[in-house]
Amino acid sequence: MSDDRFAQFTLSPGRRRRDRIARSAILAGTVIALIPLLLIVYYLLQKGLGSWSPSFFTTDPTGNTFFKHSSIGGIQSAILGTIEIVALASAISIPAGIGVAVWLVEYGRNSWFANAVRFFVDVLTGVPSIIFGLFIYIVLIVGTGSTYAGYKGSFALSLLMLPVVIRSAEVILLLVPGALRESALALGAPRWRVIFSIVLPTALPGMVTGVLLAIARAAGETAPLLFTAGATFKTSTNLGGFMNSLPVQIYNDVTSPTTSVVNRAWGAALTLVTMILVLNLIARLVAKRSRLA
Amino acid sequence: MEAASLPGGERSTLERSPLARLPDRALKYGLTLLAALILALIVYFFIRLVGEARPAFAKFGVFGFTFDKDWNVSAETFGALPLLIGTLITSALALLVGVPVAVATAIYITELCPGRVRAPVTALIELLAAVPSVVYGLWGIFFLAPKLQPAEQWLANRLSFIPFIGGGAVTIPNYFVAGLILAIMILPIVSAISREVMSTVPADHKEAALGLGATRWEMIRMAVLPYCRGGIIGGAMLGLGRALGETIAVAILIGDAPQLGKHLFGQGYSLAAVIANEFGEAQGLHRSALFAAGLVLFVLTLIVNAIARVVVVRAARTGAPNSPAQSAPPAIAGAAGV
Amino acid sequence: MINRKVGATAGALLLALGLAACGSSSSSSSSSTTASTSSSSASATVSGAGSTFAAPVYEQWASAQPGLTVNYQAVGSGAGITSLEAKTVDFGASDPPLKPADFATLEKVGPVVQVPMFLGAITVSYNLPGVKSGLKLTGKTIANIYLGKITTWNAPEIAELNPGVTLPSTPITVIHRSDSSGTTSGFTGFLAKVDPEFASKVGEGKDVQWPVGTGAKGNAGVAGAVQQTAGAVGYVEQAYALEHNFTYASVKNKAGNFVAPTLASATAAGATVVVPSNLGIKISNPSGAESYPLTSQTFVVVYKDMCKAGIPGGEAAAKGVVKFLEYGLGSGQSILSQADYATLPAAILAKSKAAVTALECNGSPLSG
Repeated sequence: MSDDRFAQFTLSPGRRRRDRIARSAILAGTVIALIPLLLIVYYLLQKGLGSWSPSFFTTDPTGNTFFKHSSIGGIQSAILGTIEIVALASAISIPAGIGVAVWLVEYGRNSWFANAVRFFVDVLTGVPSIIFGLFIYIVLIVGTGSTYAGYKGSFALSLLMLPVVIRSAEVILLLVPGALRESALALGAPRWRVIFSIVLPTALPGMVTGVLLAIARAAGETAPLLFTAGATFKTSTNLGGFMNSLPVQIYNDVTSPTTSVVNRAWGAALTLVTMILVLNLIARLVAKRSRLA
Repeated sequence: MEAASLPGGERSTLERSPLARLPDRALKYGLTLLAALILALIVYFFIRLVGEARPAFAKFGVFGFTFDKDWNVSAETFGALPLLIGTLITSALALLVGVPVAVATAIYITELCPGRVRAPVTALIELLAAVPSVVYGLWGIFFLAPKLQPAEQWLANRLSFIPFIGGGAVTIPNYFVAGLILAIMILPIVSAISREVMSTVPADHKEAALGLGATRWEMIRMAVLPYCRGGIIGGAMLGLGRALGETIAVAILIGDAPQLGKHLFGQGYSLAAVIANEFGEAQGLHRSALFAAGLVLFVLTLIVNAIARVVVVRAARTGAPNSPAQSAPPAIAGAAGV
Repeated sequence: MINRKVGATAGALLLALGLAACGSSSSSSSSSTTASTSSSSASATVSGAGSTFAAPVYEQWASAQPGLTVNYQAVGSGAGITSLEAKTVDFGASDPPLKPADFATLEKVGPVVQVPMFLGAITVSYNLPGVKSGLKLTGKTIANIYLGKITTWNAPEIAELNPGVTLPSTPITVIHRSDSSGTTSGFTGFLAKVDPEFASKVGEGKDVQWPVGTGAKGNAGVAGAVQQTAGAVGYVEQAYALEHNFTYASVKNKAGNFVAPTLASATAAGATVVVPSNLGIKISNPSGAESYPLTSQTFVVVYKDMCKAGIPGGEAAAKGVVKFLEYGLGSGQSILSQADYATLPAAILAKSKAAVTALECNGSPLSG
């Protein structure tokens, strides 16, 4: 590389050493980040893979937690429930979140109103996940005298996702060079065209990252669902009724005294991680294909 | 639709008919309405929390509740100080360990790693985000914490002259391991945002530095990091938010003892964990106290974010000449557009 | 291309909102239907919330009900009562009997009945390699351990209760619950009754200020902590102790006998309890030669006239609740032993059954 060739002549040993140390430190940091991951994945595989079987994914959990020799069932309703609840939560929070981020960057900018919105969104990132569930519990369950429902769990999750989507989208949108916008405007394109045809596509890959992180977070959170979605064992497509979900199933199973039920919890955890991984992969492929040249 | 406004003659943007301006207006007002709705929702959220927390504040006073050191459920006295300290210790630890490591991974991925390794490493880091929080807690308490205990004991003995680290009993669930797990949990988000920001550094900045003879590290230090400072801090704030509010993993790992956090390797409690542990059985004043704890966390996040904003603004002002904060949509758009 | 994406997202959003708003009909495969359908529907849905201790039993009983779906939320006894009061569920479940304040709140909606369902033993489990199950301990010794006054296993107080057992000098690691729980309530209730110092220093409650020891979350957490640490002692429900093959203590009861936690000794403990008129039994250091002193109870709490009170599931759910309870107090009791829970003694069982028979819907009896 050219810099190395020239560096040979001009580089003091001190600078070279610092460079080497810094590079090693960065590499070391990366390795440090990956070690817990490998350990956790190994642990998950070790404890969860044994539970995987075709019937594991296609049968609902039964209430049978005692009979050690008879069937405790699989996790079908939990898988479907998670997909449904998280899909609804994403459908709410992603468009809304990106919309707010676009507004913040394009229209609100530094006005007092925009800063107020930013401020409160930031504060929302620090709220414990359980409080979102309790808020929905107070407002939509106790407050209206109605019972648990899957969509109420979705609302709690979308509250959780919203600040992550808004904040990360805002960071990405701010990185779109002003020059791009200016040239489009100079060519006479209306504002909305600039946003939809220039700004959003440019920001899309970055926003996909933020969105995926929000979805992954939501899919793995137990606390917001505990008091909202209502646990049940049966598969359901009715978001207006009780709905099972993987994190809640895991949480309940892992505290059981029966070993086979605990194993089911680990199998479910492995399933959840795999599902999120697959989602990541699909979304990245889609984003790559839509990236403007 | 509209003809381009160029020397070719047609109408310029400024002369567009009102009807043609409609989509712009609709978008602007629609998005403004959306932002207002979200703001209203958050404020309403805050108000409901305050309503639920009021009985506790009425009984102990706002400062009394927040800074009293006694959280005693059976005696029905609720002071949040031990919880606050626990939250602060674990979150600070999470940031101290997590942010540098996350930024290191971001630098590695964007600047240093060979092209073929890039995608797998990125995927691996993002895999960390896919793990549910309850799994982190369980892996922590069943695998990590017992393994760390001998080392912690050794450290506590060797460094017993340092007040916070040494001297106390080393328990398996403690502040340290809770903070460590939190650091792992915030890694993916800080790394992802830092990565995104770093990948948009204009190539000419980097090449200019290299062309002047900078080493790789010097280039990163001079051209990449200053440009990205605001974005990295933004990512760190998201990570901090996660750390402050993480409920279940901390509840499993911190030992759940409402003590005043005198020892890093001892048990403690956090604002979020206490809510998770006690809400199921809480009634009346206890319940209100738990909501009040949530509010304290709310306010804490507020303060921390306010400080962070000041830092970001200052970084933008004194940062690299073309940092993102200064290339926000210029005034022209405002004048020519809606 | 972007327009298509926007359209797709908007379409998805609208679709999702539509789904949520209408609460569309369920799929053709087995699924829970909301119970606003006719009272003679083949599949009614009943919802309940409360005690985590009782959850495995209720879920097991639920799976044995053809044509009835019982959805149970193990959110904790306190949240269960609150849910019942808010009428978000059809029945509540609580380990400790209802306090007067609870009665007052609930009776604003309608008169309530608490029905004892079954019993469970709380074991004092320990991890001492070389020492078998059945170490003899008195309530006072246990209290002193949890007060931090006894710190090693070979302390004189323990040794003199167990002549002939070689006790190691391992320090005692005390494990207690970090979360609020009825198990803690039962454990501390016993200790407070037999040891005045414990009563004044720690007291009884679901969540107390422990002077010594490490907190662990849930029965599973305490079980895990005991397993991991040699010299540890912790209080766990019998099911966990048996599943993990723990060694546990025989505790001295009021009659002076050292009794091991077995299903029989737990049921025996219930037999000597005086049953108040509101059925709010509380087993705390019971008399009786065979009684295991650390036995606790659990209740289902329902409105006496469920339909009038306005439970979410309506009349269909009211019938379902009665069916569920009758099963639980009938054949359900025989399943309990397989899960290491104890059946109610005959006298209390009869009273529970009578209470269920007295449940009504808009004035007319439900069972029969």
